Amino acid sequence: MTPTRGYRVFQAANGVVLTLVVVVTLFPFVNILARSFSGEHAIRSGQVTLWPRGFNLTTPHRVMSDSLFWTNYRNTVVYTVVATAISIVLTTCYAYVLSKKHLKGRGLLVGIAVLTMFFNGGLIPNYVLVSSLGLRNTLWAIVLPNAISVFNLLVMKAFFESLPPELEEAAAVDGLGTYGTLWRIVLPLSKAVIATMLLFYAVSFWNSWFAGFLYMDRQELFPVTVYLRNLIAGATTGSDYSTASDTALQIAASIQAVTIVLTMLPVLLVYPFVQRFFVSGVLLGAVKG
Amino acid sequence: MAHLSRRQLLAAAGAAAAVSMAGCSDDDGTGGLDDSRAGAMDGFKAGDQFKATEPLTFSIMMLSNQAYPFKENWPFWAELTKRTNVTLRATAVPGSDYNQKRSVVVSAGQAPMIIPKTYHPDEEAFIAGGAIVPVSDYVELMPHYQDKVRRWNLQGNLESYYQQDGKYYLLPGLHENVWQDYSLAMRTDVLTKLGLAVPATWDELTTTLRELRKAYPDRYPFSDRWSTPPSPGANNLLGILSDSYGTKAGWAWNPAYWDAAAGKFVFSGAMDQYRQIVQYLATLVSEKLLDPESFTQTDDSAKQKFANGKSFVISCNAQTLVSECRKDIAKIPGATVAKIPLPTGPMGATLPGESRLENGLMISKKARESKNFVAMMQFIDWLWYSDDGLLFSKWGIAGDTYTGDVDDGTFKLSPQVKWGGLNPGAPKELQVDYGYFNGVFAYGGSTAMLNSQFSDEEKQFQAVMNKRTPRPVGPPHPLSPDEREQVTLWEAALEDHVNQQTLRFILGQRPLSEWDAYVGELKTKGMDKYLDLANKAYQRFKDKK
Amino acid sequence: MRTWRRAVRRDWQLYSLAVLPLLFFVVFRYLPMLGNVIAFRRYQPGGDLFGEYWVGLRYFRMFLTDPTFWQVFGNTVIIGALTLLFCFPLPVVLALLLNEVRRRWLKGFVQTVSYLPHFLSIVVVAGLVLQTVSVDGVINQGLTAVGHDAVAFIQDPGWFRTIYVSSEIWQTVGWGTILYLAALTTIDDDLYQQAKVDGANRWRQTWHVTLPGIRPTMVTLLILNIGTFLAVGFEKVLLLYNPLTYPTADVISTYLYRVGVVSGSFSYAAAIGLFESVIGLTLVLSANWLSRRTVGSSLW
Repeated sequence: MTPTRGYRVFQAANGVVLTLVVVVTLFPFVNILARSFSGEHAIRSGQVTLWPRGFNLTTPHRVMSDSLFWTNYRNTVVYTVVATAISIVLTTCYAYVLSKKHLKGRGLLVGIAVLTMFFNGGLIPNYVLVSSLGLRNTLWAIVLPNAISVFNLLVMKAFFESLPPELEEAAAVDGLGTYGTLWRIVLPLSKAVIATMLLFYAVSFWNSWFAGFLYMDRQELFPVTVYLRNLIAGATTGSDYSTASDTALQIAASIQAVTIVLTMLPVLLVYPFVQRFFVSGVLLGAVKG
Repeated sequence: MAHLSRRQLLAAAGAAAAVSMAGCSDDDGTGGLDDSRAGAMDGFKAGDQFKATEPLTFSIMMLSNQAYPFKENWPFWAELTKRTNVTLRATAVPGSDYNQKRSVVVSAGQAPMIIPKTYHPDEEAFIAGGAIVPVSDYVELMPHYQDKVRRWNLQGNLESYYQQDGKYYLLPGLHENVWQDYSLAMRTDVLTKLGLAVPATWDELTTTLRELRKAYPDRYPFSDRWSTPPSPGANNLLGILSDSYGTKAGWAWNPAYWDAAAGKFVFSGAMDQYRQIVQYLATLVSEKLLDPESFTQTDDSAKQKFANGKSFVISCNAQTLVSECRKDIAKIPGATVAKIPLPTGPMGATLPGESRLENGLMISKKARESKNFVAMMQFIDWLWYSDDGLLFSKWGIAGDTYTGDVDDGTFKLSPQVKWGGLNPGAPKELQVDYGYFNGVFAYGGSTAMLNSQFSDEEKQFQAVMNKRTPRPVGPPHPLSPDEREQVTLWEAALEDHVNQQTLRFILGQRPLSEWDAYVGELKTKGMDKYLDLANKAYQRFKDKK
Repeated sequence: MRTWRRAVRRDWQLYSLAVLPLLFFVVFRYLPMLGNVIAFRRYQPGGDLFGEYWVGLRYFRMFLTDPTFWQVFGNTVIIGALTLLFCFPLPVVLALLLNEVRRRWLKGFVQTVSYLPHFLSIVVVAGLVLQTVSVDGVINQGLTAVGHDAVAFIQDPGWFRTIYVSSEIWQTVGWGTILYLAALTTIDDDLYQQAKVDGANRWRQTWHVTLPGIRPTMVTLLILNIGTFLAVGFEKVLLLYNPLTYPTADVISTYLYRVGVVSGSFSYAAAIGLFESVIGLTLVLSANWLSRRTVGSSLW
């Protein structure tokens, strides 16, 4: 079907809008990338716009030559992988249960989850709890306290509810129990939403610094976000009689930029894989069959 | 046996000082020290090196400044253990959020024994819950501390830390003299070019700025920094101005100002002196001498303007002068910058006396319950308050990291080691590689000790500053926990209003003729109630003495 | 009791799936919630975790009679509502626009770029915003170029809401499209075919097929966002505001911060927290009920 004139106009307008979006969101990043590699003087006098000036690798070098940085980076990877895995399993199971409208006590189960979105105990009780459970200074202090995000839970639940009931009926006819239905029928059809949740959880854990900061007492256990946050703070506040060496100054000027690049990199690398699952049409064909 | 050694300590430290500092509670707590003496030295007195009689371990909260991050293998730790037989077990906390973690950990009752890097009055929050120890009860165990307090006349300053029970809960860093670090930096080459002298008073500064503006009518000669919320903005400028005029603003803000002549506390934001500094700044802004953005812009913006020659005056301290101002203008041919001696105002050549007490230590309840408590106090006394301890934590080991002595000016940092502006080409860094001069341990000290770290330029500045007399510190007005709870809300409302109207007056959004109306507004926000409470608390404190 | 036993026997597998998550909720969410009791008791940091003694509604009375509290509450509501008003529909619009892009690689590129701002820390975003609206910044450069006077946006309380909401839009619109794009993929292609057969053009297809297809997702997100709209970003406001803009910029969390939560007024903060929680919960329940009545779908 050939596009109408109206549609072509729309396409053009769409192009303009999207280009605007790209420019507005991309420009600061190019700027930041340029700053990561620029000399401190150019940065401080505001001369860096789209291209590095006074090309300089001091900050990336300083950061990457610190073994603590790599230890922390590895920590982040481990924490993120474990936390995401546990979160996905728990969230999917619970969301599936909640999506079964016939289940007795379902309202109660939903309520239990929703209530926690609004009421929380505050910093000190959480700290005491994690401490008493002996989780401080272990990876579980980061993984467990935030295992389920009710937001994600409810989105998944909505998705499961939107699946046609004929699916389950067909599975029951084939003799599949609950576990079987979940594993063999529902999950394969839920790739899009699971991929999305994986992304959300992974990004959230990857960027989080507070749990690591609060519950870890030794530097080797910090996630890299804490390391970088401290680096930025150490560079920008002259609280002590801190070093005024050239390296320190160069770092101060570009550390924020380097931080951003380093934290974003893995996500940008992972996302294309996740995006594969957002392919239309393929998934629901199975229903008809 | 216990009473004997206590008497010895008292004699050595000077009975008068000791008795007045232990307050009225001579027998409280100190009597129960018999079970806490394991590892302590008998007859520990000023001038002694502390060495525990058995190897001991104490837990400490260690702020890790990422410019020189915490390392377990610093020579500092090994040498410390060698000299004192004490190993410190550190909980590393990133410097970026030290206060928050400290607050959570102490509130949850899980703090390490020694909690350093605490600025007054942060310790007040933890008193009512019993999480920290009233250190004033135990200063008899600390001869070096008592010695310095007595010699440097710090008793008056310490009194301002007293709480309602007549005790204080923070062991502050002690300075022999007021150390003024912050001032203004000016482009001296521009001044020379225009034939202008460095201004010595605030009024002279106005004249100088006017000349600068005449020569460069397209830019603001003064664009300031250090406007982090929540204080009004251009906080250093307001702070040093208020010091010169006899009130409190910006970083120096304190709602209650001690009016010695009247013998009571008045509200800083309503004083006539405060109005004067607001008027001063309003004049600068209206004549386009001071950039109105000074009060809200980021430090980076302000530094950029200075770096590009768009402004000629900016706030600075010794460190930022060297590491920022000077570096920023490096690309401008012939540009030079210097930190000018603090301009004087109506208060003349004097400096506020509060800064002689520095950030310090809190001692947690857990430490008091330990059987090594006395040894710990002696250890702290040696490391933080003895000349040897201060020298060690600041500069390291004689013959290794330095040579000479600080007291007679022969001090010299080893050429292998660099710090700050000293020995810039050296291969090792004092803080990063050795762990000395770490902000957690090396604070305070004699003026000679302080001078050993200054470049020649800074020594000149300090020489001028040291000629100014420190003003006496006001008395405290200690509140009960209930009162403090109430006052917190009042203070917040009053401070908000002061900050907001200060800016509006300065920026010309509100005419200064409305000053009286403004004071009236403060009254409706509870200013009088607040002052009443403060003055009653002061009376209560005075009567108890 | 009998119905319960029957239900368990029939659905024991389902219940078993719920055990671990429930354990999580009980241990890590409900147990610490007991700490909220300090809103009704005198709590002293370092003392008893649950406070020293009962003080009843003292803290509630304290903030309910505090005029500053009501002002910051009003600001929080307004800013929250504005954020919701703008940041909710825009990701939908962007998702739909992206959906119309024919070339896959272009679509992927635009989408990836659009959510980059989500990864910026708030400190960086605030710095960018301050720089953009400064007197020398991009916006004022444009203004002076057309002959207008420069405006000190960040010092004007009237501009704060615009600045804040705009930065929120910029930071969240791209990331927000992810969920919708995922939902778009689940719309049955047959429906589009049918619509085309019926003679619908692209616009009508969007209206009659696409939008209803993502409606459950939209409703879910809307209800959730309504419930949490009071949670206005503390850090960003803190970095963007100053005393001049307190009248419009000051929100509950920044006010509490100034009053000094760090200095130990935990009970006061807990009381206010409970107040906010109750409001949030009420809003979600109402929104959910309303949605079930009008649109037919709801969160539960």
